[in-house]
Amino acid sequence: MSKFVREEVTVNGVKTVVHTAGKGETLVFFHGAGTVDGFDFAEAWTDQFRVVVPHHPGFGESGDDPAFTDVHDYVLHYLELFDILKIDAMHLTGISMGAYFAARFALEHSHRVRKLVLIAPYGLDVAGHPALDIIATPGEQLVPMLVSNFDVLKKRLPEKPDMDFVGARYREATSFARLFWEHPIDPKFPRHLHRITMPVLIVWGDQDKVMPVAHAQAWKEKIPQAEVMIVPGAGHIVHLDKPETVGKIAMFLK
Amino acid sequence: MIARDTGLQLPSPATYNTLIAEGKMGAGIRFNVMHFMPYVHLPENHKDYKTTWVNFPNKFYDPEKGHELYRQYFDQLILADRLGFDAIVLNEHHNTVYSMMATPNVVASALIPQTRNARICVWGVPPNFMLPNRLAEEYAILDVMSKGRLEIAFPLGTGMEYWSYPVSPVTAREKFKESLKVMLQAWTADGPTTHYGNFYTYRFLNPWPRPYQKPHPPCYIVGSGSPETIELAAELGFGYSSVFVPKKTAQELNQRLRERASHYGHTIRPDQLPLLNFVYVAETQEEAEREYPIHLQRFFEDYARSSPQWLAPPGYLSVEQLKIRAAGADKMHGGFDFKAISEAFFIAVGTPEKVANQIGEWTERMGTNHINSVLHVADMPHWKAVKNMTLFAEQVMPKLRRSGGAQ
Repeated sequence: MSKFVREEVTVNGVKTVVHTAGKGETLVFFHGAGTVDGFDFAEAWTDQFRVVVPHHPGFGESGDDPAFTDVHDYVLHYLELFDILKIDAMHLTGISMGAYFAARFALEHSHRVRKLVLIAPYGLDVAGHPALDIIATPGEQLVPMLVSNFDVLKKRLPEKPDMDFVGARYREATSFARLFWEHPIDPKFPRHLHRITMPVLIVWGDQDKVMPVAHAQAWKEKIPQAEVMIVPGAGHIVHLDKPETVGKIAMFLK
Repeated sequence: MIARDTGLQLPSPATYNTLIAEGKMGAGIRFNVMHFMPYVHLPENHKDYKTTWVNFPNKFYDPEKGHELYRQYFDQLILADRLGFDAIVLNEHHNTVYSMMATPNVVASALIPQTRNARICVWGVPPNFMLPNRLAEEYAILDVMSKGRLEIAFPLGTGMEYWSYPVSPVTAREKFKESLKVMLQAWTADGPTTHYGNFYTYRFLNPWPRPYQKPHPPCYIVGSGSPETIELAAELGFGYSSVFVPKKTAQELNQRLRERASHYGHTIRPDQLPLLNFVYVAETQEEAEREYPIHLQRFFEDYARSSPQWLAPPGYLSVEQLKIRAAGADKMHGGFDFKAISEAFFIAVGTPEKVANQIGEWTERMGTNHINSVLHVADMPHWKAVKNMTLFAEQVMPKLRRSGGAQ
C-alpha cells in the first residue's frame, strides 16, 4: 500500500494529479517522458521530506491541454501549481525530460529552489555524444534501453500490452512530440544555465543508453557549483537500476 | 491592421455550376487512371527490411533505371488520354519505393502539354509540406496552363510523410485547416488580402496567376476515414475519397459525408465521391488471374510495406483512433490471400464483362459515378499495363457509359 495520497488540482483549467506523502521540507519530483517507471522509489524520501509528485499535463493521470506546446508552458503551469499548493520553496528533483523541466524552472525561479537534483537530464546538445532520439526509436526497442537491468522495469509492464496501455503510451508520446518533434533541442537553453545558482547534484548512470553519461560533464561546465555523481552499472533510470541512489540523493538534500 | 484569423470562415461554398453545365462534372460516369509511379527495382534482400518506407535506404535508387521507369509511366498516362480516359490521377509520397512522385506538380506540368482532354488530378500535395500561397500558386499555374483541366485533392499526408518531413504530426490537422483556408482565400477573394493565423502570417496575400476555373478547380479531400477529415470535407462541401479502407467502411464513409455535408447545407453529388479501385482486364478470366495477382501481392506486401510506428507518428491520430486502428491491425494475420483481399476491397479482375458488371455494382452500392482505377500496380511490366488500359478503355468503359452509373 502506497503512502502517497492522491489529490486532483485544477490548474488554469487543467486537471493535475499530485501524489503527496511524508513530512519535512518539501521535495518535488518531476517524472520523465513516460510514467510506466512509477514513483514508488520516492517513498524512501518520505521519512525526511514532504514528497510531492505531480503528473505533468499530457502524462500519466493528469489531463490534456493542447496549448502546452513549449517547455515554458510547463514552467508556468508549475509556478501556478506551487502557488495553489502553497509551496514557496522546495528541493526540486527530476529525471530526463522532468530534469529538463526542473532546470528550466530553476533558472527562472531560482529563489524558490533550495537544492536541485538532475537525474540524466535531457536538454543539452553535446558534440560527439548524441542523445537517443526517443521519438524515432520504436517503443519495443526503447523500453529495454531505459535501464541496464531490464528486470527492474519489465515487472512494471503488462505481459501482453492491451489497447489501453498502447493508447496511454501513444498519448504520452504525443505530449512529448508536441514539445520536441520539430525542435528537439533549444539552442538558447545553455545560455541561461548560469542562472541556476543553488546547490545542484547531477546524477548519471554510466550505462545510460538514452542520454550518454558524457553529458554530465557538459552540464557541470554550465553549472560550475554542481556536484556530479556517476553511478556505476546504472542505465537511464538510475534509481530503478540502483535503488541506493535514492538515499544518496537524500544525503545531498539534507 | 493585425486581425487574428484562425477560423475557417470560407468566402462561399464551392460550386461548380459552369463545369456541371458544360458536362465536365456531375453528368454520366467518369473514368480516371490513377498511377503511383513506383520504383520497381527492389534489391534482392529487400525482405530483410521491415518496411519499404521512411528509412528504406535510398542507395537502392538507381537514377538510370528511374529514368526508364518515368519514360514508361509517362507513355502509359499519355496513352490514357488518347484512349479516352476522363482523368489522370497523380499523388504524392516520400522516402519510398511506392511512388516516384515526391512532387506531383512537376509530373503534372510535364503531362499537361502532352495530353489533350484528360483532366489532370493532383490528389494531391499535402498542404502542410508547402507554404500555402506557394501551393495555391502552383495549382493556379497548372490550371491556367491546362485551360481548366486541373482537379485537386487535399491529403493530410500519411504518417510516413510526417516521419520524412520536418513538420509536426501533433498539430498537423490544425495546420492543414489553416492552409486550406489560406489557399481558398487566395483563389476566391480579390487580393491583396491578409491572413494572421496560428501557423502563417500573410501581410499581402495576392498570388498571381489565379485559377482558370471559377471559383477554383474542383477540390476533394482524401483520407483513410478519420472522423475529423470527413467533417472537414462536409464543412467545405468538398468531395471525399477514402483510400485503402474495406468496401463496407468506404460505403459508411460516403454515407457519413452525405449526412454531415447536408448538416452544413451542402449536397454531395455522385461525382464528388471518387471510388478508388484496382482493376485488371484480360481476354479470359484465366489469363487475368494468371497475369495479375503477383503484382497485387507485391503491391500490398512489398510496396505498401509499412509499420505501426510509421503509420501513426505521435499525435497524428487521436488516442481513440489509435486504439481502434491498433486493434484492427492486431486482427490481421497470415499472408496475402488474393481471394480474401479481392472481396474486402474494390478489386475487379477478369473479362471485360465481369469487370464492367463489378464496377456497375460498385457505383450503385456507393452512390458514385466516379471510377478511379489503378491499372498499373507494383512491378507490372509495361505491356500488361498497356493491355489492361486498352481493354478497359475499349471494352469496359463503353458498356458502363451506356448504363451511366449511379445518378
